[in-house]
Amino acid sequence: MRKVLTIAGKELRSYFVSPMAYVILGFYLGVCGLIFALTVGAPQAQAEMAGMFHTMIFVALMMAPILTMGLLSQEQATGSIELLMTNPVRDIEVVLGKYLAALGLFVLVLIGSLEFPLIMERFGDPDWGAIAAGYLGVLLAGMAFIAVGMFASALTANQIASAVLATLMLLFFWLIGWLAFSVSDQLGNVVKYLSIYENFQDFAKGILDSRPIIFFASLIFFALMLTVRTLENRRTV
Amino acid sequence: MIRCEGLTKFYGNHQAIADVSLNVAEGEIVGFLGPNAAGKTTTMRILTSFIPPSGGSATVAGHDVVDDSLESRRAIGYLPETSALYRDMRVREFLRYCAGLRGMGGVETRERIDYVLGICGLTERADSIIGTLSLGYRQRVGLAQALLHNPPVLILDEPTVGLDPNQIIEVRNLIKNLADNHTVMLSTHILPEAQMTCQRVIIINHGRIIAEDTPEALTAQIRKSETVSVTVAKDESNVRGMLLDMPEVVGVRSLGGGTYHVDTAVGSDKRAEIAELLVGRGLGLLELRPLEMTLEDVFRQLTTEEEGVE
Repeated sequence: MRKVLTIAGKELRSYFVSPMAYVILGFYLGVCGLIFALTVGAPQAQAEMAGMFHTMIFVALMMAPILTMGLLSQEQATGSIELLMTNPVRDIEVVLGKYLAALGLFVLVLIGSLEFPLIMERFGDPDWGAIAAGYLGVLLAGMAFIAVGMFASALTANQIASAVLATLMLLFFWLIGWLAFSVSDQLGNVVKYLSIYENFQDFAKGILDSRPIIFFASLIFFALMLTVRTLENRRTV
Repeated sequence: MIRCEGLTKFYGNHQAIADVSLNVAEGEIVGFLGPNAAGKTTTMRILTSFIPPSGGSATVAGHDVVDDSLESRRAIGYLPETSALYRDMRVREFLRYCAGLRGMGGVETRERIDYVLGICGLTERADSIIGTLSLGYRQRVGLAQALLHNPPVLILDEPTVGLDPNQIIEVRNLIKNLADNHTVMLSTHILPEAQMTCQRVIIINHGRIIAEDTPEALTAQIRKSETVSVTVAKDESNVRGMLLDMPEVVGVRSLGGGTYHVDTAVGSDKRAEIAELLVGRGLGLLELRPLEMTLEDVFRQLTTEEEGVE
């Protein structure tokens, strides 16, 4: 566990010595803030976050691949991965350490985004229970996005390719729900169950259901497992 | 401490190393000598568990590098060829990170970091950002991280590449001093370097080990002789003596199974005489061929490629 934290600390630090952390924070809070300002400023706007959560999760989807693209790709491109992997660390420790660092930055972004409900609190009476459920949903979805992004980062030494690959994979899980309109009901249900968008609906409305939680947890688990397997491959093939 | 048995590595269809077997005893400094692309780095990457072998096995400090790699990696300090470090970190910070990866911590670690900074001549650069350091200093940072956890085994891939002559001498002396309590395997493509720092040299070319001896013996053997390989059916005890009694024969080594390597004076060709002698004694000459001078070719390549720093 200490090795995980060592790696996480180092990665988190590199986010902040490079422009990455500031770009991510600025990008996320800037885009979400702009949309928040536009919706809240509209006539008859209500003090509820459901719409805002949809914005937040979609911006998180666009942001996660940028957050994760360097994590493993860069080590492969510069060759520093040789130094890392010849240390007595388990592959899973490397993956978890880097995952925690990206997650840490994402949590920081979410903390910054608390300004939106706090502003609503100032002018209205938002339902904090629903907001908590929404945030849990954004957090879970973000964790899944970062896990998928890490997997893409393990696959290639090219950061741009990694980001594009991660975006494509995430968009696939986002858009797959639309297929439900053009296939049979049974298949449609399956397809809906695989859709990030569909699974997020309950959270945005403030409903806590076990199914979407299991969906995101599975996505996180499988993406991280594939990442570990990808790293292991270089050792065991 | 280091043992390889029949290591083989394929990259796609390309065979990088073939049947590499070697042994490095505790406290030895062994030079792994070969021209570029001979398979040195591949072998070292297998030993450090960075890549798996396609065939064969290897152990470091008694631990298999595939099945028990966490333990074997713990025993190794490794300087990779490229020494790709994190350019945005400061030297001391980087060493602290490496210490963390090796499960070190506490006050001793801080002292140990100061110690390796000292012996690698980095004390004054401890707070420099690695990306701003010259190649020579970066190489020292690589060496410092390899020594950090005081590992029993050091695997150094081209430790002096990219250094200026003064730095090369410093690093060589550093490595020699390490031999007291470390087992060292270092690769180089410069013969004089191996001669100066190593007790034993293993020469690899095209992925195969072609010679293994002390630097002096290798030099003597190659410079002063031509070698003919003979195999006889009746391996009698006096074969070696008979061959040695021939004029211009300077040495005979028995390889077992009736095979002998006969060293003759440079420029001589004794094949006809050897054949006559063995057939005349009715020993059943099975094979007689001049040894391909791959070793010599490699040797020539190694000596002319760079004169080295004296």
